[in-house]
Amino acid sequence: MANPTADWEKVGDKFYRKIQLYTAVFDQDLELENYIVTGCSYGGAIALHRDETKLHSFRGSQASKSSIDLYSCAGKLIRRINWDKGSIKGLGWSEDEKLFVVTADGTVRCYYDLQGEFTQFTLGHGAEEYGVTACRFYGTGFVALLANNHLISVSRYDEPRPKLLATPPEGEVRSWTLIPPAYTLSRSVEVLLSIGQTIYVVDASESEDRMLDIGPFSHISVSPNGKYVALYTETGRAYVITSDFQNRLSEYDSKSRIPPKDVQWCGNDAVVIAWEDEVHIIAPKNAAAKYFYDGRVHLIADHDGVRLITNDVCDFIQKVPDVTDEVFRFGTESPASILLDAVEQLENQSPKADDNIQLIRPNLVEAVDTCVKAAGHEFNIHWQKQLLKAASFGKSVLDIYNSDDFVDMCETLRVLNAVRFYEIGLPLSYEQFLRLTPEKLIRRLINRREYLLALRISSYLRLPTDRIYVHWASQKVRVGSEDEDTICRLIVEKLAGKRGISFEEIARAAYDEGRGRLATELLNHEPRAGKQVPLLLNMEEDEIALDKAIESGDSDLIFFVLLHLKKKLPLASFFRVINSRPVATSLIESTTQADDTELLKDLYYQDDRRTDGANVFLREALKQPDSKTASDKLTLAAKLLSDSKETSFELKALQEASTLLKMQEAFDRDLTEIFTGLSVNETIFKLIRLGYASRAKKMQSEFKVPEKTAWWLRLRALVSKRDWNELEEWSKTRKSPIGWETQPFFTLILGAGNPKLASVFIPKVAPALQPGETIAMYEKCGMRVKAAEEAVKIKDVETVDRLRNLAGVGTVEGREIERLGAGLKRP
Amino acid sequence: MAPHVGFNTDQIKDKARKDLLYLLEGVRGKKNLVLERGLAGPINLFVKFSTLQEYGVDKLFFLENGNADVSQRNVVFVARGESARHAQSIADHIKRMQRESQTGHEFSIFWVPRKTLVSEKILEEAGVLGDTTTSEFPLYFLPLEKDLLSLELEDSFSDLYLHRDPTPTFVLARALMLIQQKHGLFPRITGKGDNAKRLADLLARMRQELIAGEDSNETSKLGLTPSTTIESLIVIDREVDYATPLLTQLTYEGLVDEVVRIQNNQADVDSSIVGTVPQPAPGSSKTVGTAPVEAKKQRITLDSSDKLYDQLRDTNFAIIKSLLNKVARRLQNDIDARHSTKTTAELREFVNKLPGYQAEQRSLKIHIALAEEIFKHTRTDQFSRLLEVQQNLAAGADPSSQHEAIEELISRDAPLSEVLRVLCLESCISGGIKHSHLEHFKKMILQAYGYQHLLTLDALEKLQLLLSRSSPMAAMIPMTGAGAVAGAKTNYTYLRKALRLIVDEVNEHDPNDIAYVYSGYAPLSVRLVQSILQKQYLTSITRGGNANNAAGVATGGASQGWRGFDEAVKHARGATFDEVQKGEDKAVKARALLTGSGEKKVVFIVFLGGITFTEIAALRFIAKQEEGMLSSPLSTSHANNSTPARKRIIICTTSIISGNRMMDAAIEKGSLGKNTAQAS
Repeated sequence: MANPTADWEKVGDKFYRKIQLYTAVFDQDLELENYIVTGCSYGGAIALHRDETKLHSFRGSQASKSSIDLYSCAGKLIRRINWDKGSIKGLGWSEDEKLFVVTADGTVRCYYDLQGEFTQFTLGHGAEEYGVTACRFYGTGFVALLANNHLISVSRYDEPRPKLLATPPEGEVRSWTLIPPAYTLSRSVEVLLSIGQTIYVVDASESEDRMLDIGPFSHISVSPNGKYVALYTETGRAYVITSDFQNRLSEYDSKSRIPPKDVQWCGNDAVVIAWEDEVHIIAPKNAAAKYFYDGRVHLIADHDGVRLITNDVCDFIQKVPDVTDEVFRFGTESPASILLDAVEQLENQSPKADDNIQLIRPNLVEAVDTCVKAAGHEFNIHWQKQLLKAASFGKSVLDIYNSDDFVDMCETLRVLNAVRFYEIGLPLSYEQFLRLTPEKLIRRLINRREYLLALRISSYLRLPTDRIYVHWASQKVRVGSEDEDTICRLIVEKLAGKRGISFEEIARAAYDEGRGRLATELLNHEPRAGKQVPLLLNMEEDEIALDKAIESGDSDLIFFVLLHLKKKLPLASFFRVINSRPVATSLIESTTQADDTELLKDLYYQDDRRTDGANVFLREALKQPDSKTASDKLTLAAKLLSDSKETSFELKALQEASTLLKMQEAFDRDLTEIFTGLSVNETIFKLIRLGYASRAKKMQSEFKVPEKTAWWLRLRALVSKRDWNELEEWSKTRKSPIGWETQPFFTLILGAGNPKLASVFIPKVAPALQPGETIAMYEKCGMRVKAAEEAVKIKDVETVDRLRNLAGVGTVEGREIERLGAGLKRP
Repeated sequence: MAPHVGFNTDQIKDKARKDLLYLLEGVRGKKNLVLERGLAGPINLFVKFSTLQEYGVDKLFFLENGNADVSQRNVVFVARGESARHAQSIADHIKRMQRESQTGHEFSIFWVPRKTLVSEKILEEAGVLGDTTTSEFPLYFLPLEKDLLSLELEDSFSDLYLHRDPTPTFVLARALMLIQQKHGLFPRITGKGDNAKRLADLLARMRQELIAGEDSNETSKLGLTPSTTIESLIVIDREVDYATPLLTQLTYEGLVDEVVRIQNNQADVDSSIVGTVPQPAPGSSKTVGTAPVEAKKQRITLDSSDKLYDQLRDTNFAIIKSLLNKVARRLQNDIDARHSTKTTAELREFVNKLPGYQAEQRSLKIHIALAEEIFKHTRTDQFSRLLEVQQNLAAGADPSSQHEAIEELISRDAPLSEVLRVLCLESCISGGIKHSHLEHFKKMILQAYGYQHLLTLDALEKLQLLLSRSSPMAAMIPMTGAGAVAGAKTNYTYLRKALRLIVDEVNEHDPNDIAYVYSGYAPLSVRLVQSILQKQYLTSITRGGNANNAAGVATGGASQGWRGFDEAVKHARGATFDEVQKGEDKAVKARALLTGSGEKKVVFIVFLGGITFTEIAALRFIAKQEEGMLSSPLSTSHANNSTPARKRIIICTTSIISGNRMMDAAIEKGSLGKNTAQAS
């Protein structure tokens, strides 16, 4: 087996390695130099589109048809997308392997599944007028450059919102690139434009001149971690600076007059410059290495290296990982390399194996760890095995070793080798795999319709499988040639008992494909009622949608359907739909109460709910600014109730309300006081307080206010008016409907601060009370003598004494009480 | 898997805070916050304004005021997604701001607790959806106390029973589902009432949907097996027992709520009552919702962080005076102890305790003032009249004998809500009011309070709170124990005996039955809970026993559902159900292995549609008994029962309600022609 260091190249003090991933990538007659080639990160698919600026020979009608071709890294054609939308100005990938195509007029198409399904949006902001000239893409968005140098940024693909960035100055843009938002201080995307001698940095709010004088630059490239920028001048010099333009790190003279085709970063440490068939790797301190190829080379930058694509090969150049370096470097005596050697000795049945182990005994754990890690970074299966064997051998010697990493690595390598296989063509490095995560790897496999492999890997790594099944089924309903019943049965059989299957999604796929009946049948297998609703609405199965929404209990969903129906259906049929569903009706009632009274009126009218209908009018009456219009509304309300017997009470009340309003209006006018807005009782109260007793009387009889209430009102009003004369006059009345006994007069008058008058009512109360209670009442009025008299009546000597003491023995009061008490003490 | 922890309300609080701060962090730079008014109080419960400031919040506005300014580029709206009204006003806000300012704004909306289709649709139709970033702030339950979770949906009562809008039930189900996902299924769900049944059905449906929606991942499967730390879920629909909240609450906390109203653990009290309370620390005192409080009002926090309040809250108001007295005296003694300090060490110890004393003194001052204020209220003629009528009605006195008193209340212009409470109470307890009487009362009310209350009366009828005996809805009310259709309406006449709702000899100082909370009336809702949790006790007191010689507090355990009380439960309104949630045997064993057993088990008691403070007090009383902390008088005779089933009770509800809040749902606020003429 070849030495793994054979492909190593020393650049500066670091080694770089070139790994041949695949051979015989493209047809020999594919003129790669005439194509724009863009690849997705993480070893993803490659999109080829014929570069329209280049001449090409005429080859009959079929070859001239414009298309975008999607290939795997191994050169397997995944899909050919026919293109007839005009000239393509931007072609790029998002990190979840969606292909974006931007045309000159600012139309953006997102091909989300590698199979030609797409969504579309437009950039706006003048893109149509001026035209897009170029685009730059990053993991979650892109920036388009217009002919007038304006920049439009799209920062997310799930809800694309094109935004105009700050306006850069005029002038020809020689080259440009961007720094993804994740790596900038401002957290928004920053664009670097080479205009004239200098570079402008443009973000959402400002465009800043970086004051360089070494331009113009034909290429600008930003390192994957956003910290460094590589600049290539038209004079053939390359500079590496920090992305804040503060430090110049290195400078390299390519000594070439020919402008390179591409400048990309290889990881974060080196820059790769590609000419037609020559590739330079430049590391710090002017160190460089050169590779030569037979044909045109295209660069595809990835996170930890760069892929080189030619007709013949697909290579991967990366810095040799530290652990690999430690194991394989020529002449190394690291514990790991000795351990690796030990395994070889073991295979040769040489006793040296044990010597080796003894040699590295103190560092054995470290050696095993290194071997495990190095195995991960290895692309060659032989060396993977060898390294793992070494690790296994090493840990068998150890007493205690946590094998979790070892086991995980074995699993990971199995997966990696499976997807690297040329028929799949996903040449993931170990580091890329960790960054991508297994879940997203599965998603990429699904997009390639590698269902079986996806399922195997999912179950191997204990990942959810539902998405795979759903995708498979959706694909089945789209392209399956069997009749609908067979397809439905097939899908249900296969998916029965699996968790998390969204039949709604499959049904939607079927519906979009125009297989309505199949969609309905599939939808019945969806257990989540709420999920079915939007699709049912699309399918115009309105009533079923409403029923399903009600079934789900989610009022939001119900209301959503109702809003939809309200807009769509004529009022009569809308009412017919909701009438048989009480939940729907009550939701409509409660939500429209505020804003759409007409709808409510109609609803109640056709449902013959007269009281409710009248209430709508009453509610409107409350909102009227003046009595006149309020009365009109009341009349309307009354009209609704007029021919029903059950509502006679309400009818009468409404009529009374109108009468009240009329009377109050008259009072307002005549008495220059405001009565409108008061209730009947309040009006009477106010009238009495203001001294209009006769008008109050009239109100009382008009509204048949009960006698008791009238008494209370009069009492309260007179007390609040402090009309003691009137009250005293009143006390002469013989009978009171509200009873003297409950002491209303006494309490209220006393509370109003007229004890003298209050005491007048005590004798009226007395008969109903316990003897003796009057004492306290008199006392409250401050009339101790009277109190004492009462005490004497019930022969309560103690109280008399107490009262006398309170009054003071020597005072007039005291003597009086003394006198009264004396009569009592006499036997 | 992380070590399993039992249910703890603090987790919910922490999560809410983290969620909000995380969302705020997502909006870069300074921002103005526009808050739905109803959310200010709840948010204030778990995060201080100063913390929000640390996360870049500059100014705070209320959505309802419509006055948010354009001083910051970032504007964050926080509103409940269930309400279309809020979406509309957010759209209006955004449009106005876009008009007013030249600079571009970044609008973010945090929907509480979830995004809704309707809200998005409204924003879309208003043409502003494209300018906003929306995210969800999953705020469901708010822990008001360690044992009390509330959704704090202020309108839940009117939504559920007046508008028949099922949203609160749905939100509650989602909230409970979250608990189940974390701690396992409720092994048993028992409940009473139609909405409660709907809740249980929703839970079952959500469980099915969750299983369907869940991937085949092993770890999450565990979430859907019966819990070993939770014993059961008991759901009581407010509809089952309307009468209880209509009665005036007689615990301290209840009365504070009746008189000054407690909102999100806070009450606005006139400063003249409590004086200016020195706030603990100026920075932290500025709470999320303080801004709009009128100058005259003082906002005080009423929760268990106030040790004194914690002691007082659930006691009957009758003994508050003596309790306060006792505390005051003890505090005085403690502080006086400084005179007797001899050594410097003793003195230092005293000084260390000083802050504690000061805090205590402060809270003592507040509560004495508050109690004084309430005394003022309870001493009035009107209050005692009301209470008398209520208690007579509750005890089953002939309703017509109370009519005169009610008429007098109306004539004397007593607050409308109080009058309506009494009338509704009569209607609920005695199965409607005689038609002629009802019309008479209605007429009196319309004349005394205005004709707009036609709407109020109609709403009360829709709520089935105020019915005529001849109305079709009332006709189903069985007046006698047998014969009529049971279950359509709560039959208090029957239940009063069957569940012994009236306990004459309550001891307010050392209560022996939950009836102490209403000075002699045991809330039916809580009796229903007892019929599940405390079967023996309830049996002993209903079988002619006297509350005092009830034989211990034997715990039947929720494993028996309604058994023993099936007949009684039939006479309460609505559906009755008792369901067991099972899981796969293997998974059940796995969970048992992981969590262990013998721990205190949690019982969740859900009051759908709201709970009163008195009911909370009564449930806490039960909780104490179940924890074995409160020894009942005869517990010694049950000494052999040495291992009482240890239980913890967690109360969940949609909101805290009271009779007044129920009436507020119905009372029409406008008045005829008043728009021009403001009554003097």
